[in-house]
Amino acid sequence: MSAELLRTLCYFLTGGFLIFLAITITRDNFRSRLNRVTGAMLFFAGLGPLFMALGSILAQSATAPLGFEASPIYKLRHLWEFFFPLLLLFSCLFPFDRLSRAGHPYIRLAIFLPPLMHSVIVLFFDQLSSALDIFHVDPGDEGLSSLIVQPLATLFSWLKLTLNVLRGYERSIFAAISIAYVVAAGYFLESGRKRVTNPKILTQTRWVLTGTRIGLGLYLISQIGWLLFPRQFTEGVTSTLLVIALLVGSSLFIFATIRHQFLDVQMVFRQSFVNTITSALLVGIYILMVVQSRAIVARMFGVEAELVSYGFIILLLLFFQPINNWVDDLIRSMFMRTRTDHRNVIERFSRQVISLFDPTQLRQAIEETLKTTLLVNRVYFVLYDDSITEYAMLPSDDHPRRVVIDRQDLMLRGINLLDAPTYYRSLTDYSPGSDLATMLESRNVRMVLPMKDADHLLGFVALTEKAAGYRYSSEDLNLLGVLSNQMVSALTNARLYVESLERTRLQEEINMARQIQLDLLPSNPPTLDCSTICARSTPSRTVGGDFYDFIKIDGDRLGMVIADASGKGMPAALMIAQTQAMIRSEVNNGTPIASMLKNVNQQLAVTTSAEKYVTLFYGELDTRRGTFHYANAGHNYPILARSDGTIELLKTGGLIIGALPHAEYEEDTVTLGPDDMLVLFTDGLSEAMDESEVEYGEDRLRQLVCSHRNEKAHEIMETVLKDVRSHDPTSPPRDDTTIVALKMTRTINAHE
Amino acid sequence: MIVLEPRGKIMGGPDATLLHDKLYEFIQQGRTKVVIDLSRIEWMNSTGLGILIQGYTTLRNSDGQLKLAKVTDKIQSLLTITKLVSVFDAYDTVEDAIASFN
Repeated sequence: MSAELLRTLCYFLTGGFLIFLAITITRDNFRSRLNRVTGAMLFFAGLGPLFMALGSILAQSATAPLGFEASPIYKLRHLWEFFFPLLLLFSCLFPFDRLSRAGHPYIRLAIFLPPLMHSVIVLFFDQLSSALDIFHVDPGDEGLSSLIVQPLATLFSWLKLTLNVLRGYERSIFAAISIAYVVAAGYFLESGRKRVTNPKILTQTRWVLTGTRIGLGLYLISQIGWLLFPRQFTEGVTSTLLVIALLVGSSLFIFATIRHQFLDVQMVFRQSFVNTITSALLVGIYILMVVQSRAIVARMFGVEAELVSYGFIILLLLFFQPINNWVDDLIRSMFMRTRTDHRNVIERFSRQVISLFDPTQLRQAIEETLKTTLLVNRVYFVLYDDSITEYAMLPSDDHPRRVVIDRQDLMLRGINLLDAPTYYRSLTDYSPGSDLATMLESRNVRMVLPMKDADHLLGFVALTEKAAGYRYSSEDLNLLGVLSNQMVSALTNARLYVESLERTRLQEEINMARQIQLDLLPSNPPTLDCSTICARSTPSRTVGGDFYDFIKIDGDRLGMVIADASGKGMPAALMIAQTQAMIRSEVNNGTPIASMLKNVNQQLAVTTSAEKYVTLFYGELDTRRGTFHYANAGHNYPILARSDGTIELLKTGGLIIGALPHAEYEEDTVTLGPDDMLVLFTDGLSEAMDESEVEYGEDRLRQLVCSHRNEKAHEIMETVLKDVRSHDPTSPPRDDTTIVALKMTRTINAHE
Repeated sequence: MIVLEPRGKIMGGPDATLLHDKLYEFIQQGRTKVVIDLSRIEWMNSTGLGILIQGYTTLRNSDGQLKLAKVTDKIQSLLTITKLVSVFDAYDTVEDAIASFN
């Protein structure tokens, strides 16, 4: 008796589960044929156990009318056999849609004929039977009418015989047909599984297949067993096997749906599914406890203490919510917190992309996430390429060539207007004449994911259809929206990182250039018997456009250069290096000063544009003769402060170097006496400005040098620099600043 | 004949390339006789001077001429030091500069 009750309960539960699952799946995405077919299949599968439960209850009920099994309502149970053709349809749709290629739609409808026939025969046998009797002809009845009626009557009697045979053996015949369906469906499912490549779909397929295999296996055992050994396989045994088959099969379907996103059922529905099952179980247990509580109380206290049992009920109700939550959390933690749940996806994705700076790796991470969590088949990237300032579709597995997209492409401009993930089919307005549209269509793109920072389209991601023919849901669109925002920041980060690497590299190069420049400057001024020399150059940037140099010509003669290239920084430094090399080479050749400047000017004027030039002063100190032989190519006049306080300016020379070709230069000679002081400088010194933009000025410099002419070379250098700094304390100076000071120390014994 | 009257500072950078671009535009139009009135120039650095030289060369290569007018003391001393006084024709007034073309 209680075994019977348990079985009835099982029937109910199984039927209820299946129909609930059917409704959930259909409702989740009604537009998808796969969802509709699966829903219908599960619905009809659920009808079977529900009717079994009904039959089981009626069989035990004393008040049930006798012969209830013959009632039309109970006969409706045969409708569940529609499960088999639907299973066949399902096996043709999952994991691949093979139905669209399976010929004419009527052929698909034909598979529903056997269960339809079965239901009609079972439901309307009597009516059909009497309807076929209308042409009954009495034997011996002769006449014209019998000529027409006779063949019809014969046909109908044949039909009736067929009907009777079908009726008599309906169970065996239709069981055999169902077995054929099951075998065919099993074959299709197994063959389909072998073609699955997406790991996620493979897992789903594995669970769904396991469920189907167990269910169908048990079904086959029960049916074949019943066909071959009707005595051992009684009604009770087969129906138990059937219920176990349905229970196992549907449980694994549910597991695949909730845990592995089978049919891509949305999170909301999967959650509601868990909630429903949890609440249903809990309420069931509660009702049992409440029903039993009164008996328990009576047994414990020996009396029918109603009050105690009410108290117990209230206590149970108080605990309902917390227990419900707890069970809910438990089930959720077991089934729902999967790698593919959206919150997890977003968390994991942002963690992953934050650490990726290599654009290729970043794209791979994005592609992998989209493929595993959203089950997207293929992902294409169209990104703005800074180096060509155009958008380009990057190579993919199936299209290994990069394609540059015309800036004026209509589809590209259409996508530029988007703010959120959008179905490609809603962009058809932009396709006329668009190469991009042709490209996207040939790649079966279904979804376009624009990636925009503040006002600029970084590019977009194009997604094809999802695996197993799943559709994009509203939940997917939300997830894609969040992911595309993260992609934007990740791509921007990666770009900034590459740029900062580039900047670091440039800075390193500039530092190296500075070192080269420092090495080009004489490390120590030469020491001479008759004079002391000191010099200092401070660039306004890492590298500068000023230079000075000392060139020992022979035992008696020392060449000295001070020069200033127009502009600042690296371009000026490059010009300076070139000029210095030329000067050194000319001096070593022994070229006279005027010719030397003419040659250097000619070469520089030819190799650089007119706006680039160098002001340069070259002089040669002859320590034996006590003379200073010089030429000034447009440079600030060096100050010669005689020991008696007169000031001379060394002006003779010619045009600045490198501006115009064919310039001619003059040279001059001055005699240097004891304690005479020569100060060479660049305009960074004389043009230093204070806050009110007043220049330091050459006059002030001349007066300063004159009044400190008795100081030693290094002292006058420090005095000048200190005075200039007091005028303009900016550090580093606004312009490259260079000073060379030469002080004659003792009388030179002229031989002449 | 074109008279340019730049103001402020000629210090290089985008403002200075403006002068160069303007000269280039005039050459394209076949107007190659240019006078630059420097009276409103407060200050000119080495880059600014480079731009003037560039303009001078560009015009000369197009069979034109660049003349300066109303050169301030500051710029005059710059031209003297660099010996560019021998290169540029400088006049006290714009009218003198214009007249010199004939």
